[in-house]
Amino acid sequence: MNADAARSRSRKQVAARARASFTRAWRKAEQAFDAVFAARWGSALRRDARDQSDTLRALVLLESLGVDNPVGYETLELIPYVVADIHDWHRRMGHEELGEPGVCC
Amino acid sequence: MPAVIVLLAVLAVFALGYRYYSAYLARSVYALDPSYVTPAHRYSDGIDFVPTNKHIVFAHHFISVAGAAPIVGPAIAVFWGWLPALLWVVLGTVFAAGAHDFGALVVSVRHKGRSVGTLAKDVISSRARTLFLLIIYFLVTLVNAVFAVVIATLFVNNPAAVLPVLLTIPLAIGVGQYIYRKRTAALLPSVIALLVVYASIWLGRHVPVTVDPIASAFGLEPLTVWIVLVFAYTFFASRLPVWVLLQPRDYINQQQMLLALAVIVVGVVIGMNTIAAPAVTEVPADSPPWFPLLFITIACGAISGFHSLVSSGTTAKQLDKESDARYVGYLGAVGEGTLALCSILACTAGVVALSATPGSDWQARYADWQTASDGALDTFTRGVAGFAENLGVPLATGTVFAAVVVISFAATSLDTAVRLQRYIVQEIAEIVGFRPLARNLTLATAVALSLPIVLALLPGNFAFGTLWQLFGTTNQLTAGLALAVIAVWVTKRRRNPVVILVPLVFLVAMTSWALVIQLVEFATHEDPLQVFLLAPLDAIIFVLAIWLIVEAAVALRAAWAGRTSAVEHGEELTEVEAPAADPDRDER
Repeated sequence: MNADAARSRSRKQVAARARASFTRAWRKAEQAFDAVFAARWGSALRRDARDQSDTLRALVLLESLGVDNPVGYETLELIPYVVADIHDWHRRMGHEELGEPGVCC
Repeated sequence: MPAVIVLLAVLAVFALGYRYYSAYLARSVYALDPSYVTPAHRYSDGIDFVPTNKHIVFAHHFISVAGAAPIVGPAIAVFWGWLPALLWVVLGTVFAAGAHDFGALVVSVRHKGRSVGTLAKDVISSRARTLFLLIIYFLVTLVNAVFAVVIATLFVNNPAAVLPVLLTIPLAIGVGQYIYRKRTAALLPSVIALLVVYASIWLGRHVPVTVDPIASAFGLEPLTVWIVLVFAYTFFASRLPVWVLLQPRDYINQQQMLLALAVIVVGVVIGMNTIAAPAVTEVPADSPPWFPLLFITIACGAISGFHSLVSSGTTAKQLDKESDARYVGYLGAVGEGTLALCSILACTAGVVALSATPGSDWQARYADWQTASDGALDTFTRGVAGFAENLGVPLATGTVFAAVVVISFAATSLDTAVRLQRYIVQEIAEIVGFRPLARNLTLATAVALSLPIVLALLPGNFAFGTLWQLFGTTNQLTAGLALAVIAVWVTKRRRNPVVILVPLVFLVAMTSWALVIQLVEFATHEDPLQVFLLAPLDAIIFVLAIWLIVEAAVALRAAWAGRTSAVEHGEELTEVEAPAADPDRDER
């Protein structure tokens, strides 16, 4: 009786270990697949989102770019959010520096 | 000759090329510096500039450069026999494409990951950027025309392939949306999508889709109707954001391509089929000469300018270390060469694998230039099916499988090329100040598609013989421009540019010579279409070739003079982008 119970327990442990190994292998396969095949698709999504943010940033910062902004008062409170990553933005737009030295970088 | 011997011998040469020649290039020509801070680190933004493991970058690079072109070119070129095509693929890959792809990657890494067009301006002159734009315009024009005919021809020859290909469109959109909304891993949905596509091959064989009723209603050829439908699809598909359809479909295609490569390689090894084609064919007297036309018939697979666009625009922004450029760039070229090798084996061994009289069956497929070029796609799909049968896949299913793979690739290339052509049209419109064209997406797409549609619909089966070779010339000119940029850069760094100059001179000479031969043929033809459309097109591309020669010669002379003067004055080597120690390197 004890021997049967031990065998059954052993079988369950083997099955559990096999399941755990399979799950680990599957997760690794998923990561590898995402890295090889889906990563660029993910980048394209993020690029699209970034382009939309850049458009919003340009609209919010219209006045600092020398363009009159009819809704400047309404967008004022957005400025802290859009200046947070302004350094990356001006480099992306092709300007290594923004304004006077020390203003941004 | 057993196909497996050829396969193993060529793979061995590729391995030697990587082990020794790429090491020489890395050490003595490009002087790679593993401590150089790559653009992926310097400008890291998590989107474009991402330091990535070299194996992953290689996978991205290879699946970006691999497509339908290294399949179609060799499938036509074995008309002259398997040996000339194979030698050009092997020597071109090892000595030209390897140096070209690898070099474009290194120069781009040293110039902030910029694309080859901008590099041409930075390294050669601003005129070189205009030249680049013009070459690319004609390249994508011919890609669009030829690939539309490729897809239409495969649809006409394989009605069973229509359903699986059509199904790929909603499947790709669905998989993309599912992964995006559920934020789940892509593996399971993508594998299920692939299985659905292959299940639909079985369905497609029972429900073949043809356009014969529409064609007869309008008094047109089915091929013409398919070409119009393909362009109509492209018109709309190319206007969608890339992440909606193009990219999800692309990664389903990439799995198909890897599967097709595996089927061919394993099929060759298991089947032990023999190459039925003669090493060098005695072609009919009125055939085009293999020298120099072989070198433009096979562009992708031996050396392709398109690779420099991928190397410089995208891959360079992902390199973790500069020394990874050898692995990624050189092996990317080797991967493309392997694809061309598989096409050669499929069209010379696989296609007659089941034949009782393989020699004469092969001769019938390649009886003359027109038959060979028109039937190239059918030959390839039958060839893959021949190898697939070695693995137990029925011949008819294997043929549709190969057709679906080629159509999927050609459709993705078409979508990308139409977008590229639209950008160029808009850029030119912006330069000349024609704002309605520059700002209106519909108008710009329509203008971009107009010349490819005219070329694709030309009566007289031009696509696979003539247009394919014109496409090859523009592709080789793009490679020539990239090689000129690399040669000037190497010269300025006081390294030996001979290993870059040899493929550059060879490529430009062969392309110019082939253009002259074709120009004479078009201009003296009795068909007015050839005289008034193809001859001027050829003449324009020839002028671009001469422009490239002059531009490269002037830039190289100036670079050499600057280098001699610097040596005489004992000046130190200066970099455009000086290598800098990266303080964070140890922490990464």
